[in-house]
Amino acid sequence: MDIVWSSIWITLLAFLILYWLLSRYAIGPLMSVMEKRRELVLSQLNEASATREEASAYVEQQKEALQQARKEAYDIIEQSRQTSGKQADQMIASAKEDAVRLKDEALRDIESEKNKAMAALRGEVGRVSVQIASKLIEREIDEKSNEGLVDQYLKDVGTKS
Amino acid sequence: MHEAPIIMLGNMRFDLSIILMLVVSCTVVFLIAKLATRNMSVENPGKLQNFMEWVIEFVQNQIAGTMDMKKGKPFVTLAVTLIMFIFVSNMLGLPFGIVMHPHSAEEATIFGQPIITAVEAFNTAAAAGQEAHVEIAFWKSPTADVSVAMALAAMIFILVHFLGITKNTKAYFKHYFEPYPVFFPINLIEQFSSLLTHGMRLYGNIFAGEVLISVILKLAAVNVVGMIASIPLMAIWQGFSIFVGAIQAFVFTILALVYISQKIETHDEH
Repeated sequence: MDIVWSSIWITLLAFLILYWLLSRYAIGPLMSVMEKRRELVLSQLNEASATREEASAYVEQQKEALQQARKEAYDIIEQSRQTSGKQADQMIASAKEDAVRLKDEALRDIESEKNKAMAALRGEVGRVSVQIASKLIEREIDEKSNEGLVDQYLKDVGTKS
Repeated sequence: MHEAPIIMLGNMRFDLSIILMLVVSCTVVFLIAKLATRNMSVENPGKLQNFMEWVIEFVQNQIAGTMDMKKGKPFVTLAVTLIMFIFVSNMLGLPFGIVMHPHSAEEATIFGQPIITAVEAFNTAAAAGQEAHVEIAFWKSPTADVSVAMALAAMIFILVHFLGITKNTKAYFKHYFEPYPVFFPINLIEQFSSLLTHGMRLYGNIFAGEVLISVILKLAAVNVVGMIASIPLMAIWQGFSIFVGAIQAFVFTILALVYISQKIETHDEH
């Protein structure tokens, strides 16, 4: 075994030069590329998970919106059903009211006509009865002075009839 | 046995094969890494980029297994460099060899410099009165050389103790006197033995593999029977050496990470 000292120094020198060359030109850049790839993969993973979360949030939102729309549609139908029912009731009520009003008016007309007819009849009957009485007893009776008498008489007739 | 092509420059001995192989394995590792990261893409990585990322992730998993990943992050590049460099180095010696056969001490020169190990071998052979048969190997695994393996281990050793002293000072010095101050010498020996085993394990495994390959080659050179017999042996041993080379690269890196984690881990926060 023969140690050649110059070989030791040359080995060290050669190895250090190789180390420097490799770290400067090969391993250093390669490791930065590996690091970049690691970061790329990591960022893509993050992005994917973020996108997935976003998508699920969207789906949730959509579901909610759908639910809302369904509820609104149901409300609208319900409301329209209620309003239509109410309208029908109203129409019936107003029709009934109209009928009652018409009936009342008719009754009132009838009453007033009757009263008018009664008053006219009363006057006619008074005159006719005076004429009859004057013709019967052939005596001149002043219409006016006998009006009280006729009324008396008619009242008696009214109460008896 | 192959000689190493060592020459003298000034007062220093230089092992030319180590220099050559270090340059080759550094170049191969850098080319692999550079090709893998040529057209980098975040979303559509190519095959080589995937392979490199697999290596880095493998190392990151090992670091996460030995220490807190936050503390371990700065060591990813170190561990990746270590595992790739050692693996490529271990593989380089397997496929072929470049061997020089000088016939005399005068022929054993390179760039005008005598190869001192070959000259020495010729001289000892001449002194013993034998005919010299010298082979000088230029192509081999750099990790099959004790200097390279120990240099890597020593680098880790220095780094580990530097980290221990700067990042975890109190626990670092306290740990030498645990569980009792009497254990100080043992703890000290443990540190140096771990340095020694760290380097020697790598060196021993790869060196043994190459020795066996050269032995099988010698067997092939004996005669026709040896040549036929050497083919399956070579195939098996080459396959096993690939396995051993991969395992040793992994073990060396893991041990380095374990040593680092031992020194930077603060136990009082649990």
